Formats: sequence, C-alpha cells, structure tokens
Amino acid sequence: MTDAVLSAPIVKPAPDRERLAAFGFVAPSLLIIALVFVLPLALLLGVSVLDPKGGVTSAHYVRLLGTPYYLGVIWNSLRLGLLTTLIAFLVSYPAAFALARARGPLRSILLATLFLPLAASVIVKAFAWTILLRSDGLINAVLIAVGIIEDPIRMIFTQTALIVGAVNIFLPFMALPIYAVVAQLDGRYAEAAATLGASPLVVFFRVILPLTLPGIIAGVALVFSLSVSAYVVPTLLVGEKYPTLATTIAKAYLLAREPGFGAAAGVVLLAIAVIVVALSATLSREPK
Amino acid sequence: MHPFSRRSLLKTSAAFAATLAAPALVRAAPKEIVIGGPAGAAKYFNSDLFPVLEKKLDCKVLYEGTNSLTNLQKMQADKASPKISVVIMDDPVMLPAAAEGLITKMSASAIPNLGKLVDDAVHQDGMWANYQKPWVGIAYSTRRMKTPPVSWAELWDAKYDSKIVVPSLSNTEGFWTLLAAAHLETGKPYKEAQYEIDAGFKKIKSLKANLLNVYTNAPQAINLLEQGEAWMIGGQFSAYTLIRKADGSPVDLAIPRDGGFSMPSGIAKVSGAPAGDLADAAIDFYLSPEAQSILAKTAFIAPTNQATPLPAGYPDPATLFAPDWAFIAKNRAGWVDRWSKEMT
Repeated sequence: MTDAVLSAPIVKPAPDRERLAAFGFVAPSLLIIALVFVLPLALLLGVSVLDPKGGVTSAHYVRLLGTPYYLGVIWNSLRLGLLTTLIAFLVSYPAAFALARARGPLRSILLATLFLPLAASVIVKAFAWTILLRSDGLINAVLIAVGIIEDPIRMIFTQTALIVGAVNIFLPFMALPIYAVVAQLDGRYAEAAATLGASPLVVFFRVILPLTLPGIIAGVALVFSLSVSAYVVPTLLVGEKYPTLATTIAKAYLLAREPGFGAAAGVVLLAIAVIVVALSATLSREPK
Repeated sequence: MHPFSRRSLLKTSAAFAATLAAPALVRAAPKEIVIGGPAGAAKYFNSDLFPVLEKKLDCKVLYEGTNSLTNLQKMQADKASPKISVVIMDDPVMLPAAAEGLITKMSASAIPNLGKLVDDAVHQDGMWANYQKPWVGIAYSTRRMKTPPVSWAELWDAKYDSKIVVPSLSNTEGFWTLLAAAHLETGKPYKEAQYEIDAGFKKIKSLKANLLNVYTNAPQAINLLEQGEAWMIGGQFSAYTLIRKADGSPVDLAIPRDGGFSMPSGIAKVSGAPAGDLADAAIDFYLSPEAQSILAKTAFIAPTNQATPLPAGYPDPATLFAPDWAFIAKNRAGWVDRWSKEMT
C-alpha cells in the first residue's frame, strides 16, 4: 500500500523539498482513502470472483448477468432509480424557482419544509408511508370521504407505493442543488434574451435551462445513486414482490450465505452508480 | 490481544477480590457460564429464567443472544478454545454443528432429565435435546375473522384476495407453508408430503393472487395483522403471535385440522468448552419441569419434559409434526433460489 502511495505521480515537477512537503500534506488523506475506500473495494472485487474452493471464477457474474430473473432484478433497480429521479426532477424544478422567488417568512417556511424531512430517518418515513397507504389509512379515508372511491384501494405493497415513497424520501436531494443554482441565477440574462425578441419558450430552453443544468445534473446524480441502491424503502414499502439489487445483496449475505454472489451484485450496483455519476460529470462540463 | 469484555472485567474483579480476602474467598470465586442462543429469547431468558438458574446453580450466566447461524459461525471460529459452554439453536443448525464435532454427546447420568423427555426430543444419541417446541399454525386477525381458520386450504380461498401474508422460504417458518401446500396438492399426510417439493411449489404459486406480502421480517408481518391490513399469516410461530396476543393485540393463532407443526429448539453442550459440569447442570435445568413451566408461560412454547404440566389451550406436543430436517438442510439453498424466482 505504502509503495503505491509513494510511487503515485505528482502532477508538476518541483524541487525535492516542496515535493516532499506536498506529499506530507496529502499523505494522511491518501492513507484514509486507501483504508476506507480502496481496500474495501478491492476486497469486494476479490470476493466477487472467488469460488468457495479458493480458485478464481466468473460464475457469480454469469449467474447475475445470464439469468432472466436476475436481469429482471437489475431492471427493477434501474427502473426504481429512473422513475424516482424523473418524478423528483419534475416536482423539484418548478419548486426551486418558487423557493428562489419567495421572500421573507414564506421563504423560511419553504426552506424549512425542504430541510426538516432530512432530519427524520428513512425507516421512520417509510413506515409513515405504510400507515398513510393502509386500507383504513388517511389517504383512503380522504378519498372515501370526498366520494371519489367507495371501497378502499389497496395501495400498500404496490409498485406505486414504492415510487411515491422513494420520491418523497429522496426529493430534497434533487431540490437543494437545483435551488442552489437557481438562487444565484442572474435575472438579467432572461431579460436580455427577451429584449432581443426571444419568446418565453426560447428563453427557457436556450437560456434558463442551460444555466441551471449544473444543479440538475448534481441532483440527478444524487437521487439516482441513492434510489438505485435503496434498501430500506423497497423492503418496507413493497417487500419481496419487487426484488432489487440491494435486496438481493442483503439476501445473498444474510440468508443464502453466498458472499461471492452478493459481492458480484454489489459490484454491478456500484458500476451502475459510477456510470451515472461519470455521465453527469461529463454533461456538466459541456455547456461551457 | 485482550479485548475488553464483561467477562474479562468480571475475571479481573474476581481475582482482585480474591487477593484482598484470601484465603477465605478463593473457594467462593464466582462460577460463570456462557450460554449462546437466539436474540429473540434474550428478554424472557434474562428476566424469567436466568435468575432462577443462577440462584439454583450459584453461578453467573452470560447470554450471547444472536441467530443460530451466527452462533454456529462463532463456534467454528472458536473451535480451538470455545467460549460458549451451552448452545441453544434450531434443529436444522444443530445438524452441521454435530457433523463438525462442535457439540458433544450428553450423558443421561450427568443430565437426568434427558430420560424424561417426550419421544423424538433427543437427537443422535444425545448430541442435542429439544427443551421446547414452539408450534406453528395460522395467525389471524380477530378483528377481521369472525371464526378462526380451520384448514390450510382457507389461505387459498378467493375471498381473501390480497389479504394473506406468508413467510419467505428464507425464514425457518417458511418451510411450513410450502409443506402445507405440498400436503394440499398431493392429499398425502405431512410425513410423505414433505418430500413432494415440486407439488408444494405448484400449489404455493397459485396463492399469489391472495398474497398481500411475503415477509422476511416477522414483526413487520405481525404489524400488518394487528392493523387488519392482513387477515391471515400462513405458517406462524406461537412464540411470535401469542406474545402479541398476551399484550392485547387483536390476533390469535389457529391450529388447522390438517395438523400443526413444531419447530423444536435444541440445547447442546459445546465440545471442549469451559465449565463442563456447570454446562451439564444448566442443560438439565433447561430440560426440567421447573424451567419449562416458566418458558411455557412467558414464551408460549410447548414443554418437552413429560412431567411438565401443559397449560390450558396448548396443543399436545406429540401431535405436532416435525419434519426431516436433514432432507431440508440438504436442499434448502436450491429451494430458496427457486422461491425467489417463482414467487416474485
């Protein structure tokens, strides 16, 4: 490990003493990164290609990527991530503008409604949804009282419940980065475009949207990587009916005692998240 | 490497006290014993059983509560110098423990109560013994169901669309639902139906329309029953349901007329463990009518010592079906995989 750290290239050639000082500054963080990030990842990768007899095998990946059932599981995870991200974006984007425009106490109230849910644990929020969605829960009671339905609709343990819950739980991670960008948006750009004859639609798509893109991309990366790997939310809101990569990993480790298969599923999940984050990083550089 | 633990603290303080008060107290240095068992039992073991045990044997009990598989792994890791003296695990997990030599045969001379248990409660010539039999039936919501379910076939009744919860096959109690399904599909008694797994899967797949959820987390399933969201849980332990009923929840456990099941819990002596004599005495206590009466009342489990009076309303332990665990242990991983694929 130390060898790897010592041989790490330093960007610009500098006099020996400066180089040594620079290394001294980064060494502690490199060590921490190696210990808490690189080492566990290497172990995960190692376990995922190890067979019980000690040899190297691709069997776990073949099983994961070659069986229709597990391809379905991967699709379930992706679908949960994509739908949650899309809906969270559609809800957050206009909300971020409302938040940026609001003034005085209203703004404080709106900001508090965005921040406060972050203080409650995911488990509490997921359980709260199971209570709201019950046959004799608040939502059914209201729908019946208003006369929209006669008999309670079954909402608990459905995919709709899962998406609703996931959007609710991960929404702040989309709204906050977009709000941060929108709040700094200079209104004069839009005015200038309008003065030059651009229609409101053109102003939005050619000026506002590109300027807020960094916030959107940050939000998408956050919400997607959180929801694609969510464990508590699908476990509590839909159960075994909607198996995802996260629940498959838990099952492999805790119940089936198949660490190799669990590790392989972990690597695939990580790869999906890394691809999305890398894509969004590339996209965020483009508008410049 | 001396990790700090309650045990090392006790040892140090005992040694310290002994030095101060020597020689009078050396003889009276506290005896202690480590018992490993299920985390779920920790509450009633610690509050109701261990105080009696400690007083009777003049010792201190340290309880390591976790699940059976974790205890098995601990025993594998500590094989050279075992720390746990007595282990309490489900029967299916006792099989590998016995095969790997992690537990040792108990003798009827050191443990007199071994000879007083119901039939089939002592396994492999005394490798382990069942100190209790939680029974398994259909848990139901007394708010939703006017009369208790009388047969396993009721779970399949179309009027219970999306109202049934069953345990996942990953859970121990999950096998009971599969076995009941095999029994219904083939019409054979449990003893023969337990080997008809394909028939079991065929029948259980037809239960999908009635399923509200398949659970791996028992408390969550009982919550659904208490709220009246679920009407019945097929394949549920007495120790789960009746404890909640005793707390006032509107739930109860029915034994269908096709017969209930039992999930006997085993107790065994760890090979080469410290405090061997104390371990024998502790096991004898678990198998005694005194301890079993306490457990029957606090944990709703049927006793195995014939001399223990059976509380009113408890099924006769002899009528509860216990399956061929060796057959299950051998095939289970494949079934769990098949279950995931066919039941989702």
